[in-house]
Amino acid sequence: MVRRPGSAGSARRAGAMSGGYGAGRFARGIAWATVLYLVLPITIVLPVSLTDQRFLSLPHEALSLRHYANIFASPAWLGAISQSFMLAVASTALAVAAGTLCAIGCWRLGRRSSEMVRVLMLLPLIIPSIVYAVGLYRWFGKLDLLDRFLGVVLAHAVTGIPYVVITVSAALAAFDPRLEQAARGMGASLPQTLRWVILPRIAPGIASGAIFAFIHSWDELVMVLFITSRQVFTLPRKMWDGINENLDPTMAAVAMLLVVFTIGLLWLDGALRRRRRDA
Amino acid sequence: MSSTAGHALALRGLTRRYGSFVAVRDVSLNVESGEFVTLLGPSGSGKTTMLMMVAGFTEPSEGTILLDGRDITALPPERRDFGMVFQGYALFPHMTVAENVAFPLRVRGLGRAAREEKVRAALDLVQLDRFADRKPAQLSGGQQQRVALARALVFDPALLLLDEPLSALDKKLRGELQEELKALHRRVGRTFINVTHDQEEALRLSDRVAILDHGRLVQQGSPLELYERPATRFVADFLGRSNFLAGVVREVRPGAMALVAGGTRLVQAVAYGAPKLALGTPGLLALRPEKISLLAEGEAADTEVAGEIAAWSYHGTGFALSVQTVDLGLLQVALPAWRAPIAPAEGMAVRLGWPADASVPVAEDSHAA
Ligand SMILES: Nc1ncnc2c1ncn2[C@@H]1O[C@H](COP(=O)(O)OP(=O)(O)OP(=O)(O)O)[C@@H](O)[C@H]1O
Ligand SMILES: [Mg+2]
Repeated sequence: MVRRPGSAGSARRAGAMSGGYGAGRFARGIAWATVLYLVLPITIVLPVSLTDQRFLSLPHEALSLRHYANIFASPAWLGAISQSFMLAVASTALAVAAGTLCAIGCWRLGRRSSEMVRVLMLLPLIIPSIVYAVGLYRWFGKLDLLDRFLGVVLAHAVTGIPYVVITVSAALAAFDPRLEQAARGMGASLPQTLRWVILPRIAPGIASGAIFAFIHSWDELVMVLFITSRQVFTLPRKMWDGINENLDPTMAAVAMLLVVFTIGLLWLDGALRRRRRDA
Repeated sequence: MSSTAGHALALRGLTRRYGSFVAVRDVSLNVESGEFVTLLGPSGSGKTTMLMMVAGFTEPSEGTILLDGRDITALPPERRDFGMVFQGYALFPHMTVAENVAFPLRVRGLGRAAREEKVRAALDLVQLDRFADRKPAQLSGGQQQRVALARALVFDPALLLLDEPLSALDKKLRGELQEELKALHRRVGRTFINVTHDQEEALRLSDRVAILDHGRLVQQGSPLELYERPATRFVADFLGRSNFLAGVVREVRPGAMALVAGGTRLVQAVAYGAPKLALGTPGLLALRPEKISLLAEGEAADTEVAGEIAAWSYHGTGFALSVQTVDLGLLQVALPAWRAPIAPAEGMAVRLGWPADASVPVAEDSHAA
């Protein structure tokens, strides 16, 4: 199965082709407006993060990296970063395991009931996260999971599952079911078939799902606000508190680091897909 | 380890339905140990469905499958230990050729050294040793097919299932691999079940051919039996080519009968014990083009008919004539080219004849469900 190249790539190719349809003035305008709209917040955050002042503002006299230096000097910021990172790793591992198995199970059954399961798995995407958070708060209170690392891992893992289910299902849709038959016909047990045939074929899909699940946990705020207080203190939570309590430009610096980090992850995702396509 | 002989397989009343559609209908077939059996039939006749039931991937709606007398109908495919070549190869795209061929050995937990040796031998067999490190996508269709064959053979299965293993090869390579397959079958003494819609391949390779049509087993027998004594119009037409002569039974004697079609008397030899047609009923005879001769002046034959050459073509080894007759319609005649009695020309008047045992009575097909 051939994956379509990213839309940006095909647009560029179409533009380079002589005789192709060029974009109209109107379409071009809309496209640039959209790009601006998406990039604009960053264009504010970047200068603010480089400000030479002590409060949230644009640079007055010179650009300064002091707020970046602040991050790495502050145990509170570093603690939040490492906690967020560990949370994201743990919840991603859970989401990948559960989401992948769910997608494979649905794919193998291929009945209408499994279609239902798949829709059910997408619920966390459909339900507004604030509603979800309220529900979690009530249940976690009873289960003694409030303000606990495990509680946040579970919450983020469950809400990260949809990303994995979606990407793995897409990878499986392109998987030739006769390969599984061939493997079993040659005597491979189900675990052997999984390990040697199915998983290597859908690994790029799993990696994509993992990246999205990671990003999801990495910047999730709403649930964290409800189910944590002092023990668990994630990076988005720290930023949120920073905005509410003092207008420290360090936040802008952290935000910039987050943006760079996320772009790095997305680039990795794209690179994995490209490798898959060329293989 | 499996014994030195191949498995014996028995299919009893095998049926497979898809909704109200019957893909395979009540097929019973015995495959002896070490036999080479071919399932032959046109596209959509149910060959792959049959094979997939034997392999365990498709569950029969009715019937049982016996392996050496043991019921394996419910046994999952991975426990049947058959070698299989899928229609369309089903090679693992993420593995190299050598890794593909090594797969069944890896599954069986064979050590690396033993694995490499067997893989090399299997790749040698299909003349692909130079391609061991390529991915399937870097091979031609025929090369992929040979990898699939090597992968099915490498673990020395007692029963080998082949779904059109040679269909993507060019004529020469196909011929070579047919020979190779036949030699291999003789050498290893395993049971082979081959599926094809190529009648020439079926005749060349098989100990026995089972002919399928619309999901039914129409006839089974040795290639010679099927070619010489087709039971139905479908078989006579599908295996080689035939002229069909329709007439009404006028005489029945021991060992022979005669049908009449217009002014032509068709003399037909009848084997002792063969069911006889009743006087006055319609009958159908199948007659191979190569069994018709051109009669010289004054020469006589059991059945004679006059006609006119409507079209002809030259094929190197012979002429193919279409001769228009009044009573029997258009007859196809194959005439050896070397020392042919005539130089064919359109419109030329000819007399055709054949002996009483050249044609065979066949039944009309019953496709009604
Ligand atoms: N999963 C299925 N659902 C419904 N119908 C099916 C299914 N599989 C096969 N059939 C039907 O059963 C019939 C036999 O199919 P099968 O694949 O056995 O044919 P075949 O003899 O192998 O043909 P070919 O030579 O083209 O491979 C076909 O008419 C096909 O449409
Ligand atoms: Mg088929």
